[in-house]
Order: sequence, then structure tokens, then C-alpha cells
Amino acid sequence: MPDDFRTLLSLVLVFVPLSLLSIGGGASLLADMEHQSVGVHGWTTPREFADLFAISRAAPGPGTMLAALIGWKATGWAGAVTATVALYLPSSLVVYGAARLWGRWRGSVWHTAVERGLAPVAAGLLLSGGIAVLRVSPGGPAVWASAIIATVLLLRWPRLHPVVLFAAGGALFGLAALW
Amino acid sequence: MSKEVPLGAVTAETGGAVRKHHRIGLPAILAAFFWLGVTSFGGNTAAWLYHRIVQRRHWITDAEFLSGVALSRIMPGSGGVNLTVQVGQRLGGGAGAVAAVTGLLSGPLVIVVALAMAYARIGSSPAVNAGLDGIAAAAIGLTFATGLQLLPSGSRRLGPLTITLMTVLCVGVLRWPMLPVMLCLAPISVGLALAQPRSGR
Repeated sequence: MPDDFRTLLSLVLVFVPLSLLSIGGGASLLADMEHQSVGVHGWTTPREFADLFAISRAAPGPGTMLAALIGWKATGWAGAVTATVALYLPSSLVVYGAARLWGRWRGSVWHTAVERGLAPVAAGLLLSGGIAVLRVSPGGPAVWASAIIATVLLLRWPRLHPVVLFAAGGALFGLAALW
Repeated sequence: MSKEVPLGAVTAETGGAVRKHHRIGLPAILAAFFWLGVTSFGGNTAAWLYHRIVQRRHWITDAEFLSGVALSRIMPGSGGVNLTVQVGQRLGGGAGAVAAVTGLLSGPLVIVVALAMAYARIGSSPAVNAGLDGIAAAAIGLTFATGLQLLPSGSRRLGPLTITLMTVLCVGVLRWPMLPVMLCLAPISVGLALAQPRSGR
């Protein structure tokens, strides 16, 4: 099936560069994915792309699993796997190299200093990530209030399993909408 | 730093001192990250990883986790996947990294395509959408709780705490681009760490 093969190849050619250019998270990636899959290759219509984006946000895992859906739409399961590997493998290799290099100096004075120096920045980035997701969430004040309640519960009882909270949040909001 | 802590009492402050690094078997890594993948809703892989891998299993220390988070954000690619690569590498070398990433992505890959297939049949319903909002709210709560648990601690924490607040202000509130902010704040923070050896974390 040379046509399928050609589609797989163009998936690789689209997602490998995106993988290496996507510094700073998925938001900048989204515009490029939209341009490539709707405008350049016609793998999805604009409407389908919006639907796939919504579905990818509903599923667990990294937000960029949208790539798998574009691949799936383009040419089935083989496309889904190809797009996923093409998007994650190149950046993962870069990070793996950096992590090995970084680990080589473990125990040295400056390694310890850099590790301790990065910690407060990283804590700030985690909190900022929460704020960013909150900002784009379509749910409004109810989501804000529930997020704060979940935060307090988890801080008060750290051994509480987050899946319990996920289930409770999902059930509560779902039932409220039915009512 | 190596004081004994009862296992139930491990906190963000003491976690780093509890367990020395050791290699973890590949099946255990694969299984742990598989569950992480299928249950990390709302793009909060880092927070979820902290809860399951650092707080529960003590496979890596708080300091390793946080430096991993910082590195995962300045590298190309998805932050959650990048963090997983580093943790997998720390736990089991190259094979560990492959096992961790495979575990993390395989479940969500199948689930997301299955959802798309179901969606093509039945379309979306308002109740399901609202339910997803509820799950997202809980996931945001987990992210906030993780960030708050990892706030700088110890006797001389004023400097590090200021760095954290500056990061939240610039990146979270003012929405400045993350990379320049990090390039500005991280060197100051490392300088602080050098000037104050062994205080707090």
C-alpha cells in the first residue's frame, strides 16, 4: 500500500520537526499542528480538528496526544502510533542525552548547587501550570472553587488517592449538568 | 541529612533523606508509569508523578524531581514526557527510560483513539463534558497541592521563597514567556544556593 506508506512518511516529516521545536509546552505546538493537518495535508477538516482537540483533552496522558488522533484520522492505527513516536522520540532522545550528561556530575558541588537553585523555580513553574490550565478551563467559577477544595483536601490528607477526587469531581459535575 | 524517618511520616521536607538510590526492575517501572499514564488527566503528569513515584514509592528524591521538572521545561517536547525520560533514566538507565515512556504513552494512546471512535458514533453529551470539567478541577487541585508541598522550606527560605513567588507572578499571573524568565531567575537562585550552603532543601 504505497499510499498509506506515503501518508506515514508525511506524518513523520510533520511531527519530527515539531518535536524538536516545541520548547515551552504544547500551546505553540497546537497552532502548527492545526496548520499542517488542516491546511497543508488535509488530514482533518477544521471542525474535525476542533473535535479531536476536545477529545485529546478529555483523555488521560500528555495534552499533545492530539498528535496520535491526527495520525489516526490520517491513516488508522499505524498513523496513530507513527505520529506519537515521531512527536515524542526526537525530543526524548535530546532529553535523555542531557539527563545522562547531568547525572555524570552528580555529587559535585555545583551539581548540588544547581539542583538546589532550580528547586524554587520548578515549584513556581508547577504552580504556574495549574494557573494556566485553570485559565483555559471552560467550566467557570465552579471549576475554580472545586480546584481550591481539591487542593485543600490533598494538602490536609496527603495520602488521599487523587483518583478518588477525580471520580468525585467528574460525578458531581456530570450529575449537576443532568439536573 | 540522614536522620531516620518513619515511613508514614515522609513529607516533602524529609523525603530526600529517606531512601538511597537503587535500581528499579524494568517491569516495575513499566507498570508504575502505565498507571501514571492512564490516570493522569488534565495534563498534570508532573504532579501525578510526584504523588505516585516520589511521595509513595520514594524512587527519587524531591531535589531530583524538581531539577527534573526544571530541565523538562527548558528542553523541547512535552514536559511530562521529558520528566518521565529523566526519571526512567535515573531508575534504570536507557532501558529504564524506554520502559517509563512506553508505559506512560501506551495506555493514553489506546484510550484517546478509542474515545475518538466512540465520539464518531455517539457524539458528545453535555453531562459528559461537565463531568470532564469536574475531573479537570480535581487535576488542577493536585497540581496546586504539589506545588505548595514543594515550596522552599528550612530555616533560611526567604530567598528561595521569593524566587518561587517571582516565578508564579511572571509565568503564571503575567503570562510572560517561560524561557527568558527561567534564564533570568535560575542563575540568581543557583547563586543563592551557593551562598547559603545546606540550608533547607
